[in-house]
Amino acid sequence: MTLYEGIALIQEKQAVVLDLGSEYTKFGFTGEAAPRCIIRSEFWCTTERKYKKVYDYKTPEELYDNLVHMLHLLYFRHVLVNPKERKVVVVESLFTPTLFRETLAKVLFTHYEVSGVVWADSPRLCALTLGAPVALVVAVGGREAEVAAVVHSCVVLHAMQTQPLAARAIHASLAELLDEDNNTKLNLPDHIIEDIKVKTCFVVGRERAARWRSPSWPAAACDVAYPVAGRSAIAVAGRTRELAAEVLFARDAELASLPDIVLQCIMQCPIDARRELAANILVTGGTATLPGLKARLAEELRYLITQPPYESRLHVREFRFHRAPCPENACAWAGGAVCGAADGGAARATPRDAYARARRLPDWVCLLDNTPPHHPHRDNLDI
Amino acid sequence: MAYLTQLDYVKYICSCGQLKPITSLYFCRHCLKIRCGFCICHEVDSHYCANCLENMPSSEARLKKNRCSSCFDCPSCFHTLSTRATLAQPRQPVDPAGGDTKVENKQPKKMYYLSCFNCRWTSRDVGIPDQPVASGGWPERANPFATRINQLLDYYKAIALQEKQEKLERERKKFSIRGKYITLTDKTGLTGAMARNIAGLPSNEAGSSSAIANFVASQASEEVEQLPDDIYTKEVNLKQITSMPQRLASPEWQPASVARLHPVAKLLSVKRSQRCRACDHNLTKPEYNPGSIKFKIELLAYYHVPEVKIISHEPVKPGEKTALLVKLTNPTGHEMQLRLLQPEDIPPVEDREEPRSIEKSLERSLNLEKDASACRAIERPPSYAASSVVATPVGALTLAQRDDAAEYDDDTQHDADHIILWRKSNKLALRLEVTTDASAADGAPASTAFAIEYSYRNTVPPSSTAAHHRDHTLYTTVLLDLGKVHA
Ligand SMILES: [Zn+2]
Ligand SMILES: [Zn+2]
Ligand SMILES: [Zn+2]
Ligand SMILES: [Zn+2]
Repeated sequence: MTLYEGIALIQEKQAVVLDLGSEYTKFGFTGEAAPRCIIRSEFWCTTERKYKKVYDYKTPEELYDNLVHMLHLLYFRHVLVNPKERKVVVVESLFTPTLFRETLAKVLFTHYEVSGVVWADSPRLCALTLGAPVALVVAVGGREAEVAAVVHSCVVLHAMQTQPLAARAIHASLAELLDEDNNTKLNLPDHIIEDIKVKTCFVVGRERAARWRSPSWPAAACDVAYPVAGRSAIAVAGRTRELAAEVLFARDAELASLPDIVLQCIMQCPIDARRELAANILVTGGTATLPGLKARLAEELRYLITQPPYESRLHVREFRFHRAPCPENACAWAGGAVCGAADGGAARATPRDAYARARRLPDWVCLLDNTPPHHPHRDNLDI
Repeated sequence: MAYLTQLDYVKYICSCGQLKPITSLYFCRHCLKIRCGFCICHEVDSHYCANCLENMPSSEARLKKNRCSSCFDCPSCFHTLSTRATLAQPRQPVDPAGGDTKVENKQPKKMYYLSCFNCRWTSRDVGIPDQPVASGGWPERANPFATRINQLLDYYKAIALQEKQEKLERERKKFSIRGKYITLTDKTGLTGAMARNIAGLPSNEAGSSSAIANFVASQASEEVEQLPDDIYTKEVNLKQITSMPQRLASPEWQPASVARLHPVAKLLSVKRSQRCRACDHNLTKPEYNPGSIKFKIELLAYYHVPEVKIISHEPVKPGEKTALLVKLTNPTGHEMQLRLLQPEDIPPVEDREEPRSIEKSLERSLNLEKDASACRAIERPPSYAASSVVATPVGALTLAQRDDAAEYDDDTQHDADHIILWRKSNKLALRLEVTTDASAADGAPASTAFAIEYSYRNTVPPSSTAAHHRDHTLYTTVLLDLGKVHA
């Protein structure tokens, strides 16, 4: 113990990488190929006597408490290191609410006394795992599907797209279909819905989905009887298995389906990057592991590009897909692990003393941070 | 056991504003304040395996990725796996000349495999060969992505190095480039050099190392994984597909099929020591031996703060007075003077900044920034709503010191006093009167709060020049849960 801590004082302590997803949290060390743990983003709340999700909060204090408990669990039950005087790479979505970032910073710096925090956005970290200069990152996670174009390590901010088309949406749709199959309101807990999805559901091809919408249904895949302790088995019809994830591809007048937001993102990017982006798509996030999802997305993209409004405005014909060197659900995390190790974490981290002075974080949406130094309005912003 | 299994009817207000039962509170003898798990600093003290109770030095634990080398968890149900022995007859070619020459070779050999007593999973289920030794030697799997991640690491490290050199160069030339999007592009830091690399610009002559030159970026392909052809016709065998917890138990592989499950090396546990944030003194420090549940330092509130227990109470009714019987215990080795008051009557904490020695105040001022910010963020006003008010007796009560021998006496003293019900050694039962607000709704949670003023004798060994063995008057607020309001 003393020997190692002694060495660590000379060397920099190996930093940790934290990816606090809405459903699952990935936590581990920089420079390693996989996170040490992937656990649900929830903890046992002793006062409420139930598992509480980190993202269930009503007040900033409640969020603060949630984060304190979650990090305690991660540091002392899973990764087993002292948080004190150790750097953290935080993998964050560019859509993270300011309150969440600020509270997380407060918890890390004041409650756990970490020595520095590197704030890194997930699209760029995902692109980092490819080493390719241009990438279109389609992250389908727990709550949201996010599409971001990364061009030469810059996220094209105005082209970013997000829609609530992820695991939550699939679970809601699956729960509805299961109620139909069993002719009753099942009210299954979320982990059983998730288990049914993981074990039985898949995404069908475009044509088959169209046949399901037509009057002549195709012959469905095999039905499954899913046993649940303490009640009769739940019938999972073949149709349910095939259509649970259809909600991601449902097109309406607003053109807000998953392939639509991918194309819209490309469309809003600079014209000289579009072809490259379409040829460098990376589909990540836990939901991307659903069998058939990538195939369907590719199929939809190749079809929709021939349809209005895209055919006249988007002149790309070729879609190519990358494979990340890590499981889909840990892609952004792996990027963080590489980035944190390569940098030494030193240069880009917000050190604790800087945070203690400023009490705020740089943020891309904030005019303080995104007004160029020579801009005429710069002088009106006081820091 | 009641402490562990029952709801917390009596809660204390920690100095940070959290409400906790006395069993989860600490008492800092140096700050003379109650502390709790929320406002103290936790530290990893030692690593050990909870199954074989083997200690592991931190450096070794780090090398072994915090996993025990001899214990495994079941990949199916996460129960601990047991090593089972079988006798294997070594296969020998049949010797037509007669076998009495090699008798010793025909001895059956002991072979070992791993088995789960809970769900009957065995290492043979997934084709792991039996091992000739009882512990260790189990085949390890390499992370399939490790090679590529290492290439990426080398590549980005080389780029970061190159960028650093360029920066130095630039600074030397006093040549500053101000980018338009400085905060956006500079965040991961791999930008400038990488952009240069991509644009094919000549990079710093020394910087273009082999790691950069040999790096091959990921190649995108037209093909994506298609659904298997038999997906529409194949029966689903739920037992052959892993659940999410089973997949995530090994984040590197995340097997989707039960046939790919592999024993999971057991994650170590840690013993934690706890430290007061304000004064950096240890509040608890466990013994090093994993088998021991004792502590070298154990400053628990349970040993220092008078304990309040509810004996019984009448149902709480709106606008009425109800009786409440509580028991007070003095856990310390010194006589204690107690007084009950209303929580709002606690005198505000005057700045008890005593004249300190110079080095101490210097030390303090150095830590001041950290202290102030940390405490401000963590402390918050306690949030509770008491539906009833306790009529607090005016006089002071005296509680004798804890006397382990007195536990065996049975001479409960019944005082004539109408407030003190009985008194026994260091314990005291009080009859209190609770007045409930007339507006309390039926079924609403009923609770009451009162503060205790108590004398405390500080027994910190004389370490500094400051006068020790002093008596202090301390305050704590207690919140009692009285069930529900019955209209
Ligand atoms: Zn506290
Ligand atoms: Zn062990
Ligand atoms: Zn088992
Ligand atoms: Zn203290």
